[in-house]
Order: sequence, then C-alpha cells, then structure tokens
Amino acid sequence: MIDYRVRFRTNLVIAACGLAAFAVVPFVANSGLLFLAGLVAINIVFGLSWNFLFSGVGLLSFGHAMFFAGGAYGMALITRHVPEMPFLLALVLGAACGGLIALVFGVVALRRASGVYFAVLTLAFSELIHILITKTTFLGRNDGLTGIPRPVIELGFGTLNLTSATAYYYFIIIAMTLVAVMMWCFQNAPAGRLLQAIRQDQMRTAFLGTPIQGWQLTAFVISGTVAAFCGAVMVPFTQIASPEIAYWTVSTQPILFTLLGGAGHFWGPAVGAILFGAIDYGTRTMHGLSEITVGVLLLAVVLIIPGGLLGLLKRRRAAASKSTRAETAGERTSETEAGK
Amino acid sequence: MSNGINRRGVMKGMAAAGLAMPFVNVRTAMAQSGPITIGVVTPLSGPAQLIGTFVREGAEIAVEHVNANGGINGREVELSFRDSKANPNDASVAARELIGSGVNLQLGTISSAVALAMGPLLQSEGGVVITSGAGTEKLNHENYNPHVFRVGDSPVSRNAGLVRHIANSRPDIRKWGGIIPDHEYGRTTWKIFEATMRKAIPELTGEEAQIAEPILVPYGSGDYRNYIAQAMRQDVQGIYTSVYGGDAVTLYQQASPFGLFDKIDVLLDSANEFLVATAMKDQTPAHWSGFHWYFEANKGNPLSDQLYSRYVERTGEKYPMGWAAEAHAAILAYKGAIEKADSTETTDVIAALKGLSFDSATGMRHIRAEDNQAIKNAELAFIEPSSSEPDGFAVTDYVSLEGEKVIEPARPGQMLDIDAL
Repeated sequence: MIDYRVRFRTNLVIAACGLAAFAVVPFVANSGLLFLAGLVAINIVFGLSWNFLFSGVGLLSFGHAMFFAGGAYGMALITRHVPEMPFLLALVLGAACGGLIALVFGVVALRRASGVYFAVLTLAFSELIHILITKTTFLGRNDGLTGIPRPVIELGFGTLNLTSATAYYYFIIIAMTLVAVMMWCFQNAPAGRLLQAIRQDQMRTAFLGTPIQGWQLTAFVISGTVAAFCGAVMVPFTQIASPEIAYWTVSTQPILFTLLGGAGHFWGPAVGAILFGAIDYGTRTMHGLSEITVGVLLLAVVLIIPGGLLGLLKRRRAAASKSTRAETAGERTSETEAGK
Repeated sequence: MSNGINRRGVMKGMAAAGLAMPFVNVRTAMAQSGPITIGVVTPLSGPAQLIGTFVREGAEIAVEHVNANGGINGREVELSFRDSKANPNDASVAARELIGSGVNLQLGTISSAVALAMGPLLQSEGGVVITSGAGTEKLNHENYNPHVFRVGDSPVSRNAGLVRHIANSRPDIRKWGGIIPDHEYGRTTWKIFEATMRKAIPELTGEEAQIAEPILVPYGSGDYRNYIAQAMRQDVQGIYTSVYGGDAVTLYQQASPFGLFDKIDVLLDSANEFLVATAMKDQTPAHWSGFHWYFEANKGNPLSDQLYSRYVERTGEKYPMGWAAEAHAAILAYKGAIEKADSTETTDVIAALKGLSFDSATGMRHIRAEDNQAIKNAELAFIEPSSSEPDGFAVTDYVSLEGEKVIEPARPGQMLDIDAL
C-alpha cells in the first residue's frame, strides 16, 4: 500500500527546495541570468503540463505550442485592450484561452483519432493556429504584440508592484511552484490514478464503467490550461507575444525536457528544462550550434539512458541498494557458516 | 567548539555573502577604466544570416579601426555577439541577457519587428540600440522611442528616392505590381512605394499610375511558386519587391524559369544590393537595387576605401554590402557619442547621440535630435547580367541622392505623412 501522505510530504519538500534555489538567483546572478531563470521556471511547468498528458493519460501531443501561444496572446490582448482588468483575472482568462483551444480540438480529435494519428493531428492544428496568428492583423501578424506592461496588483489592503523584472520573477517562481504542486496533487488523487489506469489499459478501464473519452478530454483541457497559464505568465515578463511561440519548435521543447529528465518521473521535465536552459546559456555565443548540441544530447540520452536523467539516477540507486543487500546477505551467510 | 567552524557559522557566512552579492558589482568598478563592450544582436543563423554576417564584419572592421586609432577616450572597444535569429523573441532574450551582464550599448538589429520590440524593452532595462538597417517607418514615427537610433537611411529617403528616380527615368511605365514580405518592413516599403508612385507618375505624365494589389509572401518560405504564378497573371510593366536576404535569392531563382523577369520592363528591388547577383551570377535579372553603401559610389572616402579593402582581405569576397557599412557607422556613432559625453551610461549616450554629426563610409551623417533618424544620402545601382565579367554581372549605372533632399520631416510619435512624400 502506497502512503500518499509521505509521498506528498517528500514532493512538497522537493518543490520547496526548487523554489528556494530559484529564489536565490536574484542575489547571485545578473539581470540577464535572472531573466533566463524566469523563463526556465515557466518552461518547467510547461514541460510538466505536457508530461501530465503523456505519462499521465498516455496521449502524445506534438502541438503544445498552440496552448502556450493561446495563453500568451490572450494575456497580451487583454493587457492592451482592457488594461483596467485585474491582473489575476487576466491570467485566469489567458489560461482559459488555452483550455478553450484544448476543448475544441479535443472534442474533434479524441472522437476520431488515437495514438500516432492523434499526435499528427495536434501538430497540424498547432500549425493552423500559428498561421492564423501570422495572418491576423488584430494579433500583430508576423510582428507580434509588443510593449506589454508588467502589472501592479491591487490587494485591497495595499498594492503589489510587479513592474520590475525581479519582482515579477518572484511572482513567476511562486506561481509556478503552486501550479506544479497542484498538478502533483491531481495526478496522485483518485482522478489522476484513474487516468493512469486509462493509460495502462483502456479497454479494461472502460469495462469498469469509466467514460474513457470524457476523462481523456478532461486531461487534455487541464494540460492545455496549464500550458496556456505558462504562456500568460510569460508575456508580461518578456513584454512581447510573437508568432514564434506558436511555432512547432516550441511544441518540441516540452518533449525535449521530458526526454532529457525522464518521462517516468513527475519532476523529469523540471530536470530537463533546467538542463536545457543551462545548455542554451552555455552555447549562447556558439551561433547555430545550440540546436546541434541539444540534438546530439537528446540522441545520446535516448540511446544510452532511455529513462532520462532521473531514470539513470533511480537505476544507479537501485543497483547500489541491491549490491548493499547482496553484501549484507553475504556477510550473514558467512556469519552463519562461521557459527556452524 | 568555541573556535571551530560550525554549521551555523557557515550558514550565516553564506547568507551574508548571498545578501551582499547585489551590492558587489565588479563591472561598475571596472566601468570607467576597462574596455568598452558593445553588444551586437543580429541574425547569425537562419535565412537572415546572410545579412547578419555583413553586420558582424562591418562592426569588427570598425572596432579594428577605432582601436588602432587609440580606442574611445583611450579605452579599447570589444564586441559581444548574440544570435537574434531575426525574431523578436530570441532577440529580446539576447538583449536582456547582454544588458544584465553590463552591456548597455547595442547594435545589429536588422529586422523591423525586432527593432520595434526593442524600444519598450530597452527603455525598461536601460539600454540603447542602433539599428543596422531596420526599415520600418514606425521607428521614427508612431513607435518612436528615445532608446532606438537609426544611423542608416530612413525608409522614405531610400524608397521614395528610388521610386522618384525610376519614375523620372522611365515615366512610360505606369502599370506596377509588387511582391512584398508579409511583415512590418514589407508593408512599410509598399506603403511608401505606392504613395510615391501614385504622386510621381501623374506629375510627370498627367496620367494615373495603375498599381495592382501587392502579392504578400511569408518570411522564410522555401517555396514561392504559387506567388510567382500569381504575379505572372498580373498585367504589369514593372515589379517592385522588398523581399530580402535568403528569401529574395530563393524568390528570384524560382521566378526565373517562369519567365517573370522577361515579362516586365523594370524590376525594382528595395534593398538586396548584391545579394541576389552574387548568388545568381549571369542568371541575375537586370534590376535596380537600393544600397545602404555602394563602395564604388564612395571611392575616395578613406573610411569607405578602408572598409572595402579590409572586408576583401578578411573574407576574400569582392562585394561587401551596405549592412556592413551600417554596423561600421553604428560603432563610429557610439565612438562620437561616448567621446562627446565622456560617459558610457545609457542616458548620457542617448543625449550625445541626439544631434551628433559623424563621419562614415558614406560621408558625414547627422542624427536628428527630434526622431533619432540619421540624414544620409540614398544610393541606388543598376545591376545587369554580363557574360564578359568574371562574376557574371556588372553595375552599369549608379546614383547617390542627397540625404537632405530625400528625407521626410521629423514627426516623432506621429504617423508618416504620406501626402508629404
């Protein structure tokens, strides 16, 4: 029997340690690194939202950029056209944009397709969203929407000024930690375990009376909403929403994070996103080489450590404890023999 | 225990060191004595890399020249390059990262979308950028931002100058069409082309100009055949295009077999300089191109001659293009401004750049204080295929239009006045 309370406490500690590590960044790094750390924090949850779908319910999405861009553009439009709207409400509406895209797409695609066909459909739909953005004057066409301001939040008893990059960075890491913990809770709640059951054996779960498509659609909408929330949080930070964030290369990012970190672990995409961010920063002066480096690394991970970095760590630990057990058992045997 | 290192002591020390970090700024201490680092955020990969490479060479040659002549106020100049990938997202990450590491003076923007995104970003982060060829008119009009400077020609002086020159020499061509990149720069150039042509033709001939709807093509597309087929169907005598970089080479190469260039009398290219000609050699269609800097037109100017000879020495290529001169000019502008202000602080440099006059590869340039736009001459050249030339093409005509005469009046914060073209 799994003790979920212990698991929750362990994962809460992991999340708190991550938050603490990110919280130190403004004290030890310049504003350029701080900016990149903020993007990494957003990418972590973006990666988690993708893996929630992949490892959580067994749906492969090649088009997660459409949700991310949905949230980003939703937020950008609200900030530009309805500047008086409270920031937190705007964030919720931005996230809802991604949820809506996921709902519309999910209703159409989940009814007709599964497996690889579903994955290809997500890619096609995501490209459609990208093209729509580049052709819509209201969305700034190829130039995007620029000059998006950072918010000042009215709290009733005072104001929270997030206009500086550092203040907004703290908002990002706190918001991302909360969302990550909420996702962990959902995945480990009965609903999350039901989704796991669907991933493991759809037919058997259906025989138990579970509406498979309904649950898949729910997971799809949740994943889309979380990805859109990441996009909505990012826009005031970068102060720009441009069509590149709806491009297929952005859809590949959470897949890369997950494969690097390990798909079988909740925090796998987080490890991958941090590693990816570090490589990106390390190769920033090697023009055109960053993509090659990431590609080679990914190939190496897939071929040598298929379970990702966390998978490798787990295997190492398992091997170490196995050898310790073997040694202990060996010692006991020799003691017994000596006793004879 | 009393003298030993314990866990609490270590933790206290680490916390104190961490808290003190923001106040220990090594760069500030070095800022007034060490080398001056200028950031270059330009496309160094992807379809616009062709242009970014010129920016890189031009900036490096200018820095060589400045350092060989005693640096700026005795301080050496260094460059720090970042790849903008010609998109605002990557460019803004790179610009922020550079500012974060203390590099507040930047150059190299060639994409209009990137240049427009830079204004608000640099204003909030405290930096300056000099564009090396971004061609949107909004930069010195409705989107004017004091942190963004353009030391090259304004899109009006370039395009309106080009159009007026062609209209004057070939007033018989009244039916025009356009192949335009579907983004900020493309729309700007078309707006200016259409307005100037609609005004110039009736002035010269007394008849209306017939201008077809422009064909909008996407950025970075590998296949332009549908758009070319669309252009083939239009009843036009001249085509104006502002597709640029690797895209232009692809477009021209794909349009040749269709016979598009045989069908028309005049091909006007707003900015590709030798880019298409060096790629297509004797297959190059005869065309007029706008230039940021044409070395033959500036022969005798020591800065131009030196830029040309160093470029050829460094790369082995005979056709440097104007973006090199724009990056070169940006470094010289920074040199002038830093010496004038005796400071590298953002606000001081901005104040010094405004109203600055400085010498460049195209002669003296003056930056208008009102809208951060430089006044410089607009250069045009006619490139033709030539089987007798080793490169397969030759420049058979060129013109240099005086900057003061072709530039629009300064209207920062307001839209371009089309009627004044």
